Amino acid sequence: MSKQDGRSRQVNTTPVDDTGATILHVDMDAFFASVELLSRPELRGTPVIVGGGIGPRSVVSAANYEARRYGVNSAMPMSLALRRCPNATVLPGSYDLYSKYSKQVLAIFEDATPLVEPLSIDEAFLDVAGARRVHGSPSEIAQMIRRRVEAETGLTCSVGVAGTKYVAKVASSRAKPDGMLVVPVAETQAFLRPLSVGALWGVGPTTEESLRRLGLATVGDVADTPYDVLRSTLGEALAAKLHSLANGIDPRSVSTQREEKSIGREVTFSYDVTDEAEIRRAMLHQADDAAARLRAAGLVARTVVLKLRYTDFSTVTKSRTLAEPTDVGRRIYEEATAAWHALGAAGKRIRLIGVRVEQLGESGSGLSLWDPDEDWRDAETTIDEVAARFGKGSIRPAALLRPKKQS
Amino acid sequence: MKFQANRDVFSEAVSFAVKLLPQRTTLPILSGVLIEATATGLVLSSFDYEVSAQTEISADVEETGTILVSGRLLAEIASRLPNAPVRFSTEDSRILVSCGSASFTLLSMPVEEYPSIPQISSETGVVPAEEFAAAVAQVAVAASRDDVTPVITGVQLEVSENSLGLVATDRYRVAVREIDWDGGSTATAETITALVPARTLQEVGKTFGHSGTISVSITSKDERELIAFTADKKTVTSLLIKGNFPPVRRLFPETVENYAVMNTADLIEATRRVSLVLEREAALRFSFTPDGVTLEAIGSEQAQASETIDAVLTGVETVVSLKPQFLLDGLGAVHSEFVRISFTKTENPNKPGPVLITSQTSRDQAGADSYRYLLQPNLLLR
Repeated sequence: MSKQDGRSRQVNTTPVDDTGATILHVDMDAFFASVELLSRPELRGTPVIVGGGIGPRSVVSAANYEARRYGVNSAMPMSLALRRCPNATVLPGSYDLYSKYSKQVLAIFEDATPLVEPLSIDEAFLDVAGARRVHGSPSEIAQMIRRRVEAETGLTCSVGVAGTKYVAKVASSRAKPDGMLVVPVAETQAFLRPLSVGALWGVGPTTEESLRRLGLATVGDVADTPYDVLRSTLGEALAAKLHSLANGIDPRSVSTQREEKSIGREVTFSYDVTDEAEIRRAMLHQADDAAARLRAAGLVARTVVLKLRYTDFSTVTKSRTLAEPTDVGRRIYEEATAAWHALGAAGKRIRLIGVRVEQLGESGSGLSLWDPDEDWRDAETTIDEVAARFGKGSIRPAALLRPKKQS
Repeated sequence: MKFQANRDVFSEAVSFAVKLLPQRTTLPILSGVLIEATATGLVLSSFDYEVSAQTEISADVEETGTILVSGRLLAEIASRLPNAPVRFSTEDSRILVSCGSASFTLLSMPVEEYPSIPQISSETGVVPAEEFAAAVAQVAVAASRDDVTPVITGVQLEVSENSLGLVATDRYRVAVREIDWDGGSTATAETITALVPARTLQEVGKTFGHSGTISVSITSKDERELIAFTADKKTVTSLLIKGNFPPVRRLFPETVENYAVMNTADLIEATRRVSLVLEREAALRFSFTPDGVTLEAIGSEQAQASETIDAVLTGVETVVSLKPQFLLDGLGAVHSEFVRISFTKTENPNKPGPVLITSQTSRDQAGADSYRYLLQPNLLLR
């Protein structure tokens, strides 16, 4: 979710040449907050924050532009957000509703072109190269999408139109909120050059710092720097990627089938946890959940990653590679437990915990002569079948059967 | 230090010493070959804390001493020297190598920093070299190459009173064989096991295959367990892999009533041919009937293939799905004109029973050797 508050908004004021600018990046404006405002119109124009859950540990899921002007951003602790913007209205998230609107908006995109690549619940790339005859030029399609989204859902979105995915994404963020920015292919360089290096994909705080030490502050600076110089500081892969992006080169096409790269959830406890039994329960729950999703998708995972955030907000991850890819929750749980011990986390106060699986592949490529997890797999497959008939959670590990916590 | 040696003898010794060195090493000094010139000849050694190789050759030593030089470089030089005696001499930290019209100057690495080569204790037993080399080649094909699970990257050696068992597995197949073992006077009824890295064992098999007999010693000292193989004044030592080898012998069936016998070469050829149209990792379907065995490659949209070859079936008609490479590894290892594929029963309805591959000297005569290769079929997809 973007941290922009709309103050540096940039949109086209006169028609521009959109020939060859066939990639659209559509991004819903303050999506969660805007959906909430549909049912609370009296809050329009006032700062609104959507927060996940209730309690001292709640974090900001989304904020509308009014709240963002106070410096409220998503993923920020709610306590800090409310210090910055004390008069904001905090609403609990209604995630089913977001999902419903997301599907509705996606259907509008798919009317324009079959080449839609959803990035998350509230943004997508569209390739409209083949849609000109049916729906018009890229900017006409972008405007049509914006009109339909607003007319049919009451929500607004911003669209970036450019020749590549990267430039389209930068353009949509510049156009926010409720705007459209077309970057003509011939002007791509001129558009990118003045941007801060932080706007390049793959540049986080650490890389930004390395680039600044090289005296590179803008995308143009990076574009003008010989690749070899970048490589010696950033390493081959990142240097090549940034050098291409800075020069407006982004060979990735819009792909409709997004492959899942990882499966997993994380949870912020409502209070810091040191109790090993409670941590194990959280890991078991997340491991079982990941395994059920793997089995449902017909996938197996080769790597288990445990992520922990301690009380001081420092975050560590530990991954463990399995001898054999798995879709068994018990195996994932045991690897996560081993990772937890390997991190030396026993006895430390933990704020957030997350178990995810990576290196996914299709299951069923080969059977092994013996499988220590065979019985567990049978049990978990049975749980899947029961869940399919009687609902999720009909059967669960005894460790997870406990009275609901009052928070 | 100063010596002169026969070019072929020297080159062979260097090549032996560097063969087991890892391609890359974290400590540059471990990429060296240590050459000690003594009154009786030369001792060449290499050691990377896991594996060591040491050999003695004769040489005319004018002045004793010890040098340490880059192993790969020395091996390449030695293999290309002209046909003339090789002379070594040292001059400060430089080593001068001359041979006929060629001469080289090499830098010596610091000998004093080189670790000491493991000393081997008394012999545990003796194996016939040729049989050992053959058994290693047959069994090691089944060892895992995945370092995630170190215990199955080794070949398990099981020493009993007068036989040596070799076992390897990568979870998808298991290969075992027994060969003769002469435990000498120290032989006990107690079984000793040693888990040896498969790669090292394969090199030992290749190197010592024509040596008559190989002397083996297994020792454990201060937490470090070591195995040594010696023949022809050459010794290879290796640390043993720690951990418990999975109890795979119990996966083998005690009796089988259902099996088919085929000509090994015919089955290898047909498997290679039909699997040409398979996608990577896909399995071949084998239908065994009284009329023969039919191989079918299905599942690919672009191409299909099938072939039927002769087979003598005992018992009921059976269909199994096997990964061609796994089957070929087993067929390539039986070393007999005919091969028997036996079908085992299973209690798990979700999993086909493993197939057992054994040698067969004719259509109806089972092979005399003890080699067995057990392979897990895939699920039958239709």
